[in-house]
Amino acid sequence: MNWKALPLVLVAALVAVPAPAQETPTAMVAAYDALADNILAVRAAEAGFVLALLDGHRHAARMLKEKGDWQGAAAQVALFATEGDNAVAGVRKRLLEGGHHFNAAGEEQGIFEPGFVIVTREAKEKLLKVASDLRQATTDEARQEAWGRFRAVANQLLKQE
Amino acid sequence: MRRGAGLVVAGLLALCESAHGGAHGGASEGTRGGSQGGAGGEIDAPPALRFTDVAATSGLTRPTWCGRPEKPHILESGGTGLALVDYDRDGDLDLYLVNGWRLEGTEVAERGANLLYRNRGDGGFEEVTAAAGVGDDGWGTGVAVGDPDGDGWPDLFVSNFGPDVLYRNRGDGSFEAVAGGPGIDGWSTGAVFFDADADGDEDLYLGAYIDCTLEQVLQAEPELAWEGMMVMKGPFGLEGLANRFFENLGGGRWVEATAAAGLADVGLFYTFGVAALDLDGDLDLDLYAANDSNPNYLYRNDGSGRFREEGLWSGAALDTAGNAQAGMGLAAGDLDDDGLPELFVTNFYRDASTLYQNLGDLVFEDVTVRLGLREPTFMPLSWGAALADLDHDGDLDLFVANGHIYPQADLVEAAGTSFRQANLLLRNDGGRFLDAGGEAGPGLAVVESSHGLAVGDVDGDGDLDLAVSNVDAPPTLLRNDTERAGSWLAVDAPGALRVTLTSGGRRQLRHRVLGASFLSAGDPRFHFGLGGAAGAERLELLWPDGRRLALVAPPIARMLVFHP
Repeated sequence: MNWKALPLVLVAALVAVPAPAQETPTAMVAAYDALADNILAVRAAEAGFVLALLDGHRHAARMLKEKGDWQGAAAQVALFATEGDNAVAGVRKRLLEGGHHFNAAGEEQGIFEPGFVIVTREAKEKLLKVASDLRQATTDEARQEAWGRFRAVANQLLKQE
Repeated sequence: MRRGAGLVVAGLLALCESAHGGAHGGASEGTRGGSQGGAGGEIDAPPALRFTDVAATSGLTRPTWCGRPEKPHILESGGTGLALVDYDRDGDLDLYLVNGWRLEGTEVAERGANLLYRNRGDGGFEEVTAAAGVGDDGWGTGVAVGDPDGDGWPDLFVSNFGPDVLYRNRGDGSFEAVAGGPGIDGWSTGAVFFDADADGDEDLYLGAYIDCTLEQVLQAEPELAWEGMMVMKGPFGLEGLANRFFENLGGGRWVEATAAAGLADVGLFYTFGVAALDLDGDLDLDLYAANDSNPNYLYRNDGSGRFREEGLWSGAALDTAGNAQAGMGLAAGDLDDDGLPELFVTNFYRDASTLYQNLGDLVFEDVTVRLGLREPTFMPLSWGAALADLDHDGDLDLFVANGHIYPQADLVEAAGTSFRQANLLLRNDGGRFLDAGGEAGPGLAVVESSHGLAVGDVDGDGDLDLAVSNVDAPPTLLRNDTERAGSWLAVDAPGALRVTLTSGGRRQLRHRVLGASFLSAGDPRFHFGLGGAAGAERLELLWPDGRRLALVAPPIARMLVFHP
């Protein structure tokens, strides 16, 4: 849809109405309906994008873990916890400044930090603890235990078993 | 140390050991007065800390401005910094106060010029701004002290809302503004000189806050609903301005090298306090930036001047719950004497300031609650901070400058706060911090909107005093009148990274911390309290190139000077 043309479409719809009606012109309703489809699609796309971002960090963490690079894996877990690095946080800041809160109700209830899409406050705290534990772990057992916690939280957030 | 009191002690060098062969420089000692402490052993109960505000009687009576009383724009609540610096190298600390502008309505009523006060050494200061040529009247925010031209005379960098200024110290009591120096033409904040790439000269890292114009400041109206009042908006909703890094090429030439150094401000976060210090013990200077309402930055230096941001996974970017806080200022010090400095970051009101324990390998843990810091720091809105042994009992105490950003806080009882607030003095009691403000005398009863903080021995009596800048008011100079709990030792060793003192069988470490606090610069010399020890067994200095110098049985109750 050509969004810039939308006001013209709406004006045209109003002009096309021959007499004052007691209802909103159907053309305007249809246009708004189409707009709603797109708004909701953008919202779904944002969720999908952040899910992909998280999956990327999880995948990177797993690869590094398998190489025995636990420090690198810990860094990826931290980036998973914060839904990306500081550059992503900059994008999130822009969205918030523009008034966009993906989980407005969840933020109100204290479940989500402002701008966060998938990772809840509770999950973030757990994941950052995992990252810290992974960095400090000195035994393989401790690393595996921390990794298990990461896997459980990540799977829950990404809705995977 | 009084003027001309430095005295080379020939016998001292005979006691030196050097890990790399040969003594590193010479040592001299000052003759500052001070008691030698008790007969040794632990102090059962250190005396109550006591401070007296001597600003007015010392001649520090001129206010520094920051906009209008109502503060409709966030710039007007940022406050200004200050520096304790021995600019004339006469042995005592002078005071440089950064000044903002006073606004009335939508007009500039006064372009406040920065102020330099020379310490006369008799308890008084004289203003020498004009003679020294450092009265920049841009809207000042902060100051950094360094020696980027390497001539041994401290230079000043003034961060402004507008073009910044680098003042080169001519060495004759006057300065010259350097043309083509580093800086940002915008709202720059915390600045720190440090040798990032170990090439022997000091580079500059410069924080920045919001991208806005003077016109926007002048025309600002309160837009944010807060506790039933309208107050300034921000920082959310306002565009951030990028921090920058300037490499010193020598010969007075600078080049911006932010991206090349790996210091790109990718989030355009709102930065206030910045510090350079060796956080991972690898003998180079890392960077830490306190960011308002965003994760703090921690940049690890690989030793060549290339940095990597590791804040998020180090644990020092967020609080224990994973929240980004409103980072304002910071302090650093080795609270557990393990060779790695802890970080303390000040935050907004109704949120604790955060103490990050350094666990090694750049892993930090938020230990705010465990150390008793949550409750006393939760309600104040905090800015400058310092970790320093204020009672000479051998551990680091904490001082925090406080003040709200909304003058409207005074009109809302439910807010439980006020624009002007008492500062916070927390005594280190075996690793936990106890609020000592109530018993600390008239100096802690001062209530202002305090932001900048610089620490140093202003009166030359061996203990540390505190200089505080206040919004739209004269500064506070808190003279330390604490009854002596023990003796002390100060070490002037330019370039040294770490100093370790063993006294009474106990080891204490002090780290080179450049910048820190809030847009301010304190005395960079190392200071120790000796507790109940009658003397010191050993003093060891470490330089970034790995050289060490050790003194056996160093003299105490004085300043030891090590020439590079």
